[in-house]
Amino acid sequence: MFNKNTMATFFILIIPIVIIVIGVDLINIRLLNRLAIILCINMILVLGLQSFMGNSGILSFAHIGFMGVGAYTSALLAMPLRMKSMALPDLYLMLKTIEISPYLAIFIGGLVAALLAATISYPLMRLSDAAAVITSFALLVVLHTVMVHWSAVTNGPRTLFGIKAITDIYLAGGVAIVMLFLTLLYKESRYGLLLRAVRDDQVAASAIGANLSKLRWIGFIISAFMAGIAGGIWAHFITSFSPNAFYLKETFVILGMLVIGGTTTVTGAVIGTIAVSVVFDGLRAIENMINMAQMFPKPIVGMTEVVLAIAMIATLILRPGGITGSLEVGCWPSIKKRLYHR
Amino acid sequence: MLKIDNLGVKYGAVSGVKKIDLLVNQGELVALLGANGAGKSTTLLAVAGALKCDQGSIVFNGQDITLYPPEKTIRMGIAMVPETRDVFPDLTTHENLKLGAFIRSRDKVGIEQDLEKMYGLFPILKDRVNQSAGTLSGGEQQQLVIARALMSRPKLLLLDEPSLGLAPAIVDHIFELILHLKNQGLTILLVEQNAVKALQLADRAYVLSLGTVATAGPAKDIASNSDLASIYFGN
Amino acid sequence: MIGQIIQFTIDALSLGSLYALMALGLVIVYGILKLVNFAYGELIMVTGYTLFLLSGSPLPWIVMAGCGILMAVFFGILTELIAFRPVRAKSVTAVLITSFAFSTLLQNAALLFISPRSRQVPLPDLFTQSVELAGVIIPLRNIITIIFAVVLLILFALLLKKTVLGIALRAAASEFRMARMLGVPANLVISLAFAISGFFAGVVGILWLGRIGVVLPTIGLEPLLIAFIATVIGGMRSLQGAVLGGYLLAFIDISLNYTLPQDLLQFRDAFTFSFVILLLVLKPEGLIKGPATGQRT
Repeated sequence: MFNKNTMATFFILIIPIVIIVIGVDLINIRLLNRLAIILCINMILVLGLQSFMGNSGILSFAHIGFMGVGAYTSALLAMPLRMKSMALPDLYLMLKTIEISPYLAIFIGGLVAALLAATISYPLMRLSDAAAVITSFALLVVLHTVMVHWSAVTNGPRTLFGIKAITDIYLAGGVAIVMLFLTLLYKESRYGLLLRAVRDDQVAASAIGANLSKLRWIGFIISAFMAGIAGGIWAHFITSFSPNAFYLKETFVILGMLVIGGTTTVTGAVIGTIAVSVVFDGLRAIENMINMAQMFPKPIVGMTEVVLAIAMIATLILRPGGITGSLEVGCWPSIKKRLYHR
Repeated sequence: MLKIDNLGVKYGAVSGVKKIDLLVNQGELVALLGANGAGKSTTLLAVAGALKCDQGSIVFNGQDITLYPPEKTIRMGIAMVPETRDVFPDLTTHENLKLGAFIRSRDKVGIEQDLEKMYGLFPILKDRVNQSAGTLSGGEQQQLVIARALMSRPKLLLLDEPSLGLAPAIVDHIFELILHLKNQGLTILLVEQNAVKALQLADRAYVLSLGTVATAGPAKDIASNSDLASIYFGN
Repeated sequence: MIGQIIQFTIDALSLGSLYALMALGLVIVYGILKLVNFAYGELIMVTGYTLFLLSGSPLPWIVMAGCGILMAVFFGILTELIAFRPVRAKSVTAVLITSFAFSTLLQNAALLFISPRSRQVPLPDLFTQSVELAGVIIPLRNIITIIFAVVLLILFALLLKKTVLGIALRAAASEFRMARMLGVPANLVISLAFAISGFFAGVVGILWLGRIGVVLPTIGLEPLLIAFIATVIGGMRSLQGAVLGGYLLAFIDISLNYTLPQDLLQFRDAFTFSFVILLLVLKPEGLIKGPATGQRT
């Protein structure tokens, strides 16, 4: 199914994930466990964004919107019935009586996100450059507005609570590995290859014509599916959330991880997520410590984002390919040497 | 005046330039011929600074301009009439011409004189003074673009396919004009599909093929010696 | 009845004037670079915080407002230098990401150095007074907005029409490479576009703050979204289109406010943005046909 290099990439990229999952479980500190779960969820999101953005070369803002779709769908389907009548008294009758396994609900959340993406996005896929970005931005605003105002289903701008906590580090890490596999599979598939072939070549793009929309569309659906799954896992980890979780702030963090890691490779998605998470959480901890010690008259907020924003801009100026450059880790000369020519 | 050495430009998948050596002397009209994709337009754009050269050098009046951006080459005295014409469609004829003199905006009197001169040279433009250039016919646009280039008072004029897609009567008119400019002493590098006409006007000619110079020589020799068809179909 | 018509007209015209200026500031950069400046809304924020920071000073208000606008211009040029120029040659996507990152950077810098909470900005009494016209009470700031917008639009049109730099700006917006081949310096034109964009953002900032009275780090998002919609309605490339789009959007907004029931009104943004998406897909050139423009380079 994979060639040697992709296979090597897959197995090498699994290593850090496995180390994080097992390490965190062994050390058994609650805060670390929590951060590691969020890291794995972010990795699923970044991998999802990479599937579309990396292969098509088009920036999408809508991604986090689909995360929200997955989160709300899975929460609604898996919420205990008694809880549901309290949290969402105005819910439609049909949904009021459903309670399914959270694991199944997470999967369905992904499917619903993918389905939604499939229905609305096809005509958008022929747009390029700025028009494509504005439509995806508009799509995020639409999804957000609907989440904020569809009170019967989402509890409006208020926090939705009462979701079962089922996500542990093994679920998040396991799904991250599955999604890593899926991302590589898609990248090396015929569709992924074709999409990448036309990414930078306008002549080829116009030659392939209407098919280009279809190729991008497939990538967009896969990416929305992964975002939906990530949303479901996150919902069953955090157990209460509001629509504001799925807007520009989260978009910025996920985009930052991918850009800093390297947009065009799956390796970049994985490395970027880990690197940015470590730095981000470290800075956050410093921020909290400073605030706790009350070193300044008022609490410090936003420092972490400022650093990430500067890092993003600096990456794009100094190293447009991100930390990892344009090659998957399985193709790095030093790795290949070790693998094949001992 | 213009000396191109070993020029190489990558441009898209089809029309790159591999290795071109070319010379244009003061007061000459040099024609650049060849099939589609031979690298003619690419060469002109590289001289104008609009494309980046990957190898070789371009020297103009003793100065190395290989790395100059377009806004600098025009200040050296090189004006370009691109194949795509590129009138500014939202601007009026008058504004297009005025912008042609952008590099000497301070010389208000000179610009007014040159405007009058252009309207004399291209009377049709006078009728279209306040019309937006996007509404002009193809022939009118071509005249506008040439006039606009002349407004910068160039030392070297780069003309890319000035007869492309125009009616025969207008083509004749354009060629008369080129001859007139030549007789006034302007140095011209002309890219043309219409080889017969171009060779009638030119002093010398280069025939490009697949990004290199296939033949070069006095225009008369090229016109009489070579089979013109071979120029276009590549020997 | 007459009173209602006057009320509606003034409401729509003053809001439209604001929207038109917002859209114009965004589209002037888009027209030349074919790129969206996501940090545009933050220029409005910068104006707001300048006013706030100067609020204790003995300067007359008009000087403070001038400083606010000047800072927006300065940050507009800064946006270009930091987020656009270094990556301009690389890829469209890269520039869009840097501009988005720069927007987040400015927002969070405001969070970090000033406050997450809203801050009162100083406003002259003029902004809170109102006049009575045919039995309707009309806030003076609405009339100020309309007058300001009209004057600015006329001045801007004159700049574009009558000055060499204005002509060069319009030329660069349609045929960037050709403009360079005529000697129009690319960097100067781009910086100029950002400076003008910042100027409009500054003026909008003053007028917008005059309506809401406070500044906070996220204040830029709404004007950015409004400018998006207005430019899409007006056709992304044309300056006149952006102005008309702004007035049209305000007219629609105010009409909906007057007519739509409350429970549907809350979905107004969803409707408008779905409409934006539809418009971009079906009529990318906008509802109002702008002048013919050339290929992007």
